[in-house]
Amino acid sequence: MTTDSPGHAPAPTAGPFDPADVAWTPVSSRLATVRLLMIALWGGGLVVVTAVVAALVGYAWLWGVPAVLAALFLWGALLVRRQVRALAYAERADDLLIRRGILFRELVVVPYGRMQYVDVSAGPVQRRFGIATVQLHTAAPGTDATIPGLPPQEAARLRDRLASRGEARLAGL
Amino acid sequence: MSDPVRPVPEQAPEDAYDWRRMHPVTPALRGWKVLAAVVAAIGFQLSDDVGSLVERFGPGRAWLVLLGLLALVALVGFAYSALAWRVTRYAVTDEAVHLRQGLLFRQQRQARLDRLQAVDVVQPLLARLFGLAQLNLEVAGGTGSAVQLAFLREADAEALRAQILALAAGLRPGAPSPATGEDAVPGGPAGEGAPSSADAVAPGLPADAALAGQPAPAGAAGGTRPAVPAFEAAPEQVVYELPMPRLVRSIVRSTAPWVFLAAVVGALVAVVVTREVGPLFLVGPGALGVGGYVWGRLNGAATFRAATSPDGIRLRHGLTEKRTQTVPPGRVQAVRLTQGPLWRGPDWWRVEMNVAGYGPEASNASVLHPVATRQEAAVALWLVLPDLGTDDPLGALDAACRGTVDDGGFTPAPRRARWLDPLGWRRHGVLVTRTALLMRSGRWWRTVVVVPHERTQSLAVTQGPVQRRLALATFVAHSTPGPVSPQVAHLDAAVAGALLGEQSERARHARAVAGPELWMRAAEAPHAPASIGSAAGAPGAGTPTAGPELGTSPTAAGTGTTSPSAPGDAP
Repeated sequence: MTTDSPGHAPAPTAGPFDPADVAWTPVSSRLATVRLLMIALWGGGLVVVTAVVAALVGYAWLWGVPAVLAALFLWGALLVRRQVRALAYAERADDLLIRRGILFRELVVVPYGRMQYVDVSAGPVQRRFGIATVQLHTAAPGTDATIPGLPPQEAARLRDRLASRGEARLAGL
Repeated sequence: MSDPVRPVPEQAPEDAYDWRRMHPVTPALRGWKVLAAVVAAIGFQLSDDVGSLVERFGPGRAWLVLLGLLALVALVGFAYSALAWRVTRYAVTDEAVHLRQGLLFRQQRQARLDRLQAVDVVQPLLARLFGLAQLNLEVAGGTGSAVQLAFLREADAEALRAQILALAAGLRPGAPSPATGEDAVPGGPAGEGAPSSADAVAPGLPADAALAGQPAPAGAAGGTRPAVPAFEAAPEQVVYELPMPRLVRSIVRSTAPWVFLAAVVGALVAVVVTREVGPLFLVGPGALGVGGYVWGRLNGAATFRAATSPDGIRLRHGLTEKRTQTVPPGRVQAVRLTQGPLWRGPDWWRVEMNVAGYGPEASNASVLHPVATRQEAAVALWLVLPDLGTDDPLGALDAACRGTVDDGGFTPAPRRARWLDPLGWRRHGVLVTRTALLMRSGRWWRTVVVVPHERTQSLAVTQGPVQRRLALATFVAHSTPGPVSPQVAHLDAAVAGALLGEQSERARHARAVAGPELWMRAAEAPHAPASIGSAAGAPGAGTPTAGPELGTSPTAAGTGTTSPSAPGDAP
């Protein structure tokens, strides 16, 4: 490996999250809609419930709970679009790359030969909006290779592709 | 990895398998467990009702009633165990070990031999008294996926283990042998071909010790009905043992008893100062916890002994429950060396490993050496990874164990990482060798993690907001469940990125040349172009340079043999 002199910081542009010659495929922007909807449903529900409780009990400070919750969910809702935009994956010849996160960023490299099985799942809301989630499993529980927000045909294509590539490069453990 | 070359024998109906029963004493041993569980569960609940029993029946009669209840529970427990024993059968075929069990819910489980991760012979105290043993076949299926054959006569269990390991290694009795490799392994007087992989495990073994098992001539061509195990146990050679005094001293030097002692002193001081005895009651649970910890350590690590054999690493340990583990070559996914602050004086290390079959909760099974000196730690590492892939493996290990910053060629965390880890930043570092990734961390609790290139599952780079400001990133290599989770924190972001790219390339390359799952079949690897020589030279199967490199220290320290036969020459 390149033994850089550890003293100085490198130019911040060439981050480790943008490997050279990788064509990233973003996930569907419908994922943002789904996530917003989920936040609205769950978050809104929770806010309403806590507000009702506060109104019934009658302590003024109890209103702080729905207020804080509402602020948190609003903050989350504001971030959703950027988070979804940061989600991307790339198929290389021998491995799958998944990138996610803005504040806490992560780049995962999963070799096809290490894949044990692939999950494709879609909840009722996801189905309604025409997206699905593809998840790769290796023998390591630490591998978090989940790609949410794929159009169903893309998810199916990716699943078959991963399965066939995994078989071609099959290794033991 | 089903073998593409070998014609699979006709899938005979399962009834044709040689189904065998467990030892008839099994229900007696199992019944006690049921009884104990029931008594523990119900007795706890009913302790109040004993009083009412005494009231109703009078003191003498109450005990009779209790005894009667107990006898009834015991009867039910033993009867259930006996019925369960009746329906429990196992069968060993060339491809798998089958286990049928379950009284109400029938279950048939099969462990494929080419997926075998480890074979353990476990003897709980009670079973030991009867000379019985339990055979655990670990496959990489997560918790509860092991096939457990309980109980067998000890000699039977060991014979069965030898047979299973020989079959899993790819030695088959009476199977039609294609020209490739098969005759190189069990054919011939076997001292010829076998060393290519056998010596990879144990370069110190003399050539006559290299034969894993004699193929049974009795096996029919169909091979579905194996004869009575005709495989000899693989010879083994003890590499290191743990002396009892060192184990005791190591427990004294571990942190838990001292923390407990400090807590006791603190409680006493509190009692003296406040003149209330309340704090003393907190000591009780603490004593239980520490006592349990100490007993666990002592019981699991006592009489620890490691040996090499052509079947792989063999570990024996246990005081009350005796456990003999066999981990075939190439099954160890990662190794970790740890040293607490009080172990630094004598330079002791605890060596643990990730084996896919054991999972995270089998903490006693994942120990490669409970208390190793530095030399023994090097030997333990060498058992797993015969070639560390550097020209100076002991120097690299020394730098990993004690070094800071860029000692021994390590790529350290840059100085600005001190903002995130002011105490330990000098110890964060990574070294890439030809065969493995060495990761170092921990100022007071020193940790060294070694991951062979071909064993990494997936890789990741993560970065939090502060790391981002400092242009740092954490490099993670994902391994199978177990005590070891390899990662290096706070590397230079560009270095971590480059490492990610290079490491995925290296891992792919290492996998491509790694040894086959059936470890005696080096020549039959599915990537056929690899000749015996290069397949045997693959990192997983051991390399020709293994002996001369790390071999110098281990052989001097442990085995006493000095001239490792060069494994590469044999084929």
